[in-house]
Amino acid sequence: MLSIDNLHASVEDKTIIKGLNLEVKPGEVHAIMGPNGAGKSTLGYVLSGREGYEVTGGSATLNGKDLLELEVEERAREGLFLAFQYPVEIPGVSNMEFLKESVNALREHRGEEPLTAAEFLKKAKAACKQVQLPLDFLKRGVNEGFSGGEKKRNEIMQMILLEPKLCILDESDSGLDVDALQVVAEGVNSQRDGKRSFVVVTHYQRLLDYIKPDFVHILADGEIVKSGDASLALEVEKSGYAFLGKAYEEADA
Amino acid sequence: MSQWLSEVIAAGQTRQDWLAPHRQVALAELEKVSWPVRRQEDWRFTPLLPIEKRSVAMSSPSDSALAVPVIDDLTAIELVFSGNTLLTDIKKLSLPDGFRIVTFAEASTAQQDVIKTNLNKVKPTKHLFGQVNDALLSDGVFIQYDAGKSVSTPVRITQLANNEGDQHMRVLVHVQEGARATVFEDGHGSTNSFNTAFSEFVIDDNAYLEHYRLAMYTGEAMHVGGCHFRLGEKSQLNSTLVGYGSQLSRLDIDVEYAGEFANAKINAMYLLAEGELFDLHTTIEHAVPNCTTEENARGIVGDRAKAVFNGRIHIHRDAQKTLAELNNRNLLLSRRAIINTKPELEIYADDVKCAHGATVAEIDETALYYLLTRGIKRSQALIMLNFGFIQELIKQMPNQAISAWLLTQLHDRFVGMEVK
Repeated sequence: MLSIDNLHASVEDKTIIKGLNLEVKPGEVHAIMGPNGAGKSTLGYVLSGREGYEVTGGSATLNGKDLLELEVEERAREGLFLAFQYPVEIPGVSNMEFLKESVNALREHRGEEPLTAAEFLKKAKAACKQVQLPLDFLKRGVNEGFSGGEKKRNEIMQMILLEPKLCILDESDSGLDVDALQVVAEGVNSQRDGKRSFVVVTHYQRLLDYIKPDFVHILADGEIVKSGDASLALEVEKSGYAFLGKAYEEADA
Repeated sequence: MSQWLSEVIAAGQTRQDWLAPHRQVALAELEKVSWPVRRQEDWRFTPLLPIEKRSVAMSSPSDSALAVPVIDDLTAIELVFSGNTLLTDIKKLSLPDGFRIVTFAEASTAQQDVIKTNLNKVKPTKHLFGQVNDALLSDGVFIQYDAGKSVSTPVRITQLANNEGDQHMRVLVHVQEGARATVFEDGHGSTNSFNTAFSEFVIDDNAYLEHYRLAMYTGEAMHVGGCHFRLGEKSQLNSTLVGYGSQLSRLDIDVEYAGEFANAKINAMYLLAEGELFDLHTTIEHAVPNCTTEENARGIVGDRAKAVFNGRIHIHRDAQKTLAELNNRNLLLSRRAIINTKPELEIYADDVKCAHGATVAEIDETALYYLLTRGIKRSQALIMLNFGFIQELIKQMPNQAISAWLLTQLHDRFVGMEVK
């Protein structure tokens, strides 16, 4: 599914990702944890192709396709989905219009007919209910005036509608209370079908109580320094990133 | 005095027709004026160099290569000027009941007298190029709507600029008491040419005018024109203005309230591609109480293009209970795009409600990235993020056929504009 090999990336000439390797197979859930500034969010931006995030070495492929050669929208069409840590507010563009354009852009890419307004509305309503957002959120401007939790749920709704192959969730748990966390987790779990893969970037083990990872990786200073199963997350939860050295211990304290 | 203006005066003096006395008045004024320089506020951001370098072309050397744009589903009475030549056989038009159309060239002596009394009834003398138009005007159209008559069919007056040609056209419209009318001024040019299209509208008491003015001059096609309105008591004006940009394109709008309880709604849009210039000046004179103005000007300015908006609302001392809103919104597509915007409210009455504002925005890169990560095409994402505020005004146009056509035109123009 996703294959990252010795990836190096920099932002404004500052190297953030320093030789990252990651192999995600179909149906797997990988959690990436790590202290602040380790490069967790950068990884999502680099893989999605955000401007200003420059790849200086290595490779990243999605189902054999060179991701790094593709435009942002082409990556999405190949099945990459990034749930933003801070979803963007776009006043003036309705959530409905936005979702419909996205869904139909992906359908077009797959050679499918665009959904009619009625077909789309039915799907959108179902997804909206699933993440427990009131239906009028479809009519509102994209994320406009949404609370932190509502924005995160809106991301999950998009994920459900877009049916991606690989989902990168960038701190989808940050700023959520337990109820909202469960909604988000259930939304994610509902999309696990044995083929779809997930990379869950998080600070806290808490989310992983709800989304069971197959692998847990510790990202520190731009590379994965330790990998293990779910128990590694529990270990981090208990004793922090002390094993990484003194500097991290303080940073995370 | 500029060489060009001297040529204008010389050319004007050779015109010995029934409009000669009228031309003389303008010529006398032009003898006195000083050529606008950029120190003058009115022309501060719009250099006239392209005109200065031009010779006054008296003939129309070649027919316009332009065709009248076809607007699906639009039923209109069509008058087409190619350069200074009227292509329409006006006698063959079958006009609905309730109004008359006369061209200056074909006016009878009696009609000439009517035209003379209507000429410069509304257009202020302050417009230098309005005077040029007075001096050189080659043809014009006078439309009179009978009192109480409602004419739903729009009159569309298309002006196609000739290559290398000058075009000095006038439109005079008189909507008499209680009448309802729609007038569509449709101007196009792309090759080296110069158009001064000035129009005057007298809207009598209780009358209604729906008005469209397109200034789709691009490339080397120069245009300096104006629309001037006088509104009687309880009359209404709904006007939509659309400007592209060229090496020099300028439109001056004047609205004068002559009677109480009148209202004007003006929506202006401008889309400037790379390197183009468009200048919109509007002046609203609230001279009497209880009138309402709602003016929205919105534009998108491309790389190295320059837009000028000057919107003045002048509320006189006696104009109590005036309601006036003026808003200007701009989107710049590049760091080298320029907008000079200046909404001006000048208020001498103490019991009025007025608001004005101007905003300038750039492409929101974060929002764009967000849409792209959802698979939306870049061009489509740009439309979704940046075209909505223009689309909103297009959708407010009362005429559905013109609105639908314009939406496609402006949409395509925007898609063709590069974001840098």
